[in-house]
Amino acid sequence: MRKPNTKPHFSRRRLLGTTAAGLAASSLAACATSGSDDDSEDVSVGEDVENPFGVDGSLPLDVVIFDGGFGDEYAVQHQEMYKNAFPDATVEHLATQAIAETQQTRFSQGEPCDVLDNSGAQQIPMDVLVGDGELAELTPLLDAPSYDDPEVTVRDTLRDGVLTAGTFNGKVYALNYVFSAWTIWYDAALFEEKGWTPPTTWDEMLALCPTIQAEGMAPWTYAGKHPVYLYDMFLMLAGQHGGVDVLKAIDHLEADAWRHDSVVAAAEAMYGLWEAGYILDGTPGIDHIESQTAFNDHKAAFIPVGSWLPNEQKGIAPEGFQYAPMAVPHLEGAVQPGLISAGGEEPFVVPQNAKNKPGAYEYLRIMLSKEGSQIFGDTVQAATVVKGVELDNLAAQLTDELVSDPANLFQPRFRFWYSTMDEEVRPGLGSLMAGESTPEEFIERMQTVADETAADDSIEKFTHDA
Amino acid sequence: MKHGKYPFILSFLALPVGLYAWLVIVPFAQAFQISLTDWSGSSNQFNYIGFENYANLFKDDRLVLPAIRHTAIILVVLPVVTIALGLFFAFMLNIGGRSRQGRIEGVRGSRFHKIVFFFPQVLSVAIIGILWKQVYAPEGFGGLITGALRAVGLPAPANGFLADKRFVLASVIAVLVWSAVGFYLVFFSSAMASIPRDLYEAGIVDGAGRFQTFFKITLPLLWDSVQTAWIYLSIIALDVFVLVYMMTPDRGGPDGASEVVGGVIWKYAFNKGEQAFASALGVVLFFAALSLAVVALRFGRRERIEL
Repeated sequence: MRKPNTKPHFSRRRLLGTTAAGLAASSLAACATSGSDDDSEDVSVGEDVENPFGVDGSLPLDVVIFDGGFGDEYAVQHQEMYKNAFPDATVEHLATQAIAETQQTRFSQGEPCDVLDNSGAQQIPMDVLVGDGELAELTPLLDAPSYDDPEVTVRDTLRDGVLTAGTFNGKVYALNYVFSAWTIWYDAALFEEKGWTPPTTWDEMLALCPTIQAEGMAPWTYAGKHPVYLYDMFLMLAGQHGGVDVLKAIDHLEADAWRHDSVVAAAEAMYGLWEAGYILDGTPGIDHIESQTAFNDHKAAFIPVGSWLPNEQKGIAPEGFQYAPMAVPHLEGAVQPGLISAGGEEPFVVPQNAKNKPGAYEYLRIMLSKEGSQIFGDTVQAATVVKGVELDNLAAQLTDELVSDPANLFQPRFRFWYSTMDEEVRPGLGSLMAGESTPEEFIERMQTVADETAADDSIEKFTHDA
Repeated sequence: MKHGKYPFILSFLALPVGLYAWLVIVPFAQAFQISLTDWSGSSNQFNYIGFENYANLFKDDRLVLPAIRHTAIILVVLPVVTIALGLFFAFMLNIGGRSRQGRIEGVRGSRFHKIVFFFPQVLSVAIIGILWKQVYAPEGFGGLITGALRAVGLPAPANGFLADKRFVLASVIAVLVWSAVGFYLVFFSSAMASIPRDLYEAGIVDGAGRFQTFFKITLPLLWDSVQTAWIYLSIIALDVFVLVYMMTPDRGGPDGASEVVGGVIWKYAFNKGEQAFASALGVVLFFAALSLAVVALRFGRRERIEL
């Protein structure tokens, strides 16, 4: 009896098949390079204040929303507004977290959606989209009369500085719709009950920690598996201490920017939390959901998250829990204690090859109307970039106080400008807070990659406006 | 019947070959083409830049080089451990039992064990990822292993196994082994069933123990199956992606301690907008898999035993 020699052949074939799966990333997109590139017309602002972009009401509108902390309920209501204005139009609505996976191929096929909320962990890198010329400039939108008052342009209805994050080489390509801040959160109800005062300085915070521990709680937790949640906390600590220029120097990859005393002090302060045992056990091994759940369960008193936290917890928040934001407690001797990482987030873009560009601009104009903006405020309890939206919840009011001075608003950008830096700062902060590397090691690690990035001519450099 | 033979055969082959060409060969060819460009993935414009992507691959010591190193470790450990365990369990369940009245059979309850071991094969890899993420979690967050270790007074990583650079790769490999071993247990069992019982009986009469029976009779006769299993497992090892994506911090962390080639391809293609670079890495992976299979098949050959 001799077994027929079939197996090797079979495995060779099987091999080809399975390696195809390994190459799926490239092969999926591969079919796409042949897409057509019919440039659609640029949109201009017409005379009609009701319909400044000349929307053809019979065309469908294709909207893709990032289904993250803010959900997509607000978008559904915005689309209702659009349909009321253009009853013949159908609106295609997709809410997803997989932005790049679902939309990147559409871009390369030359058939992108009309409005894209390019947000979340799987966003398509903005610098890539801009560099490839895939995005339409939003100047026509900003120059158009606003929805509510034809005498005022859309641009003038926006808060100060919110267009910065969507501006590339002086041109606005993204409308960062949500006004959001990175803050430290605590349960105001719990603090009141225990008689604790939310600390404004780092030393006050450290003084409160033993009291918190005496209640069986850990003072701090964070999303250890996603150390990006520490990025703004760390940089604000440094920026408050030495002034915003310290952070600009880091963003500009200046020599020795990381070795600045304020940056070192911030790293040492963060590391000190671990050293003192003020971080909830196991925190480096948990994700944002687990850390926020621990926070909800009063296992920890403070957690660094963005403005979306109350909305994200809606439905699972414990009875009586009051989400309240505070600034990062500043270090002794801080020269700019009010500095806060705040500005526009959730970049909405209009693809250059969108089929219904006028409709897309009109949709964004509706989003920026008083009603549209209030819809967002009511559904997700967070502010938009539009001025003067009423919010009647504690978190939003406290955030508004924190961000009241435009001179103190600053978003550190190096993580978004240079992926090399992003890839070091996230694990670097993770290791620092887990006690795996010392502040000196962290600073040197970041300075090294900053120097390498600065020296690499193949990487396009960006700067803050003077 | 000779008349019209080829049209007849061709009519059967046209559809599968066509599908294969369209869904496998064309994308492969395009991956090669794309790897020579600077295509970002989100436009239909690109320039040819020769082999620059390939040259840069081996300079990337942040993602690519660690990923290659980790994938190489998985490539060695996964097949060895899985095949060893699969063979051991298959042997115990089929042949390793105490011989009763001269009959060769497995240990008590072998049917039950077979089902239990095969169970992970039924679960989708996404479920396996979620399940084990929880099993490996830190003690205060419901981690089973950390909790069990502490309960018996042994040291356990404070942040769970997946957030610890020392353990994360081993933890991922352990899940891969756990989920694969059941299949190879069944695979080897069926191969063992084709080994004539009288060989074992003869061996036992001559005084061979379990150990000798296994190495002198079972293993040599299963060589073909082991070879096939080796290639399958090697391909699984090269394709590890989902578990790393689902379980580990920052999808390859902490601090790059569990980056694998598949995950890095994904990161470049979808996170960083460098499809061309990702394709270059994909092409390298393709040739690695190809040469691996060729080597395994050419040099793994042994003389066949006529039964």
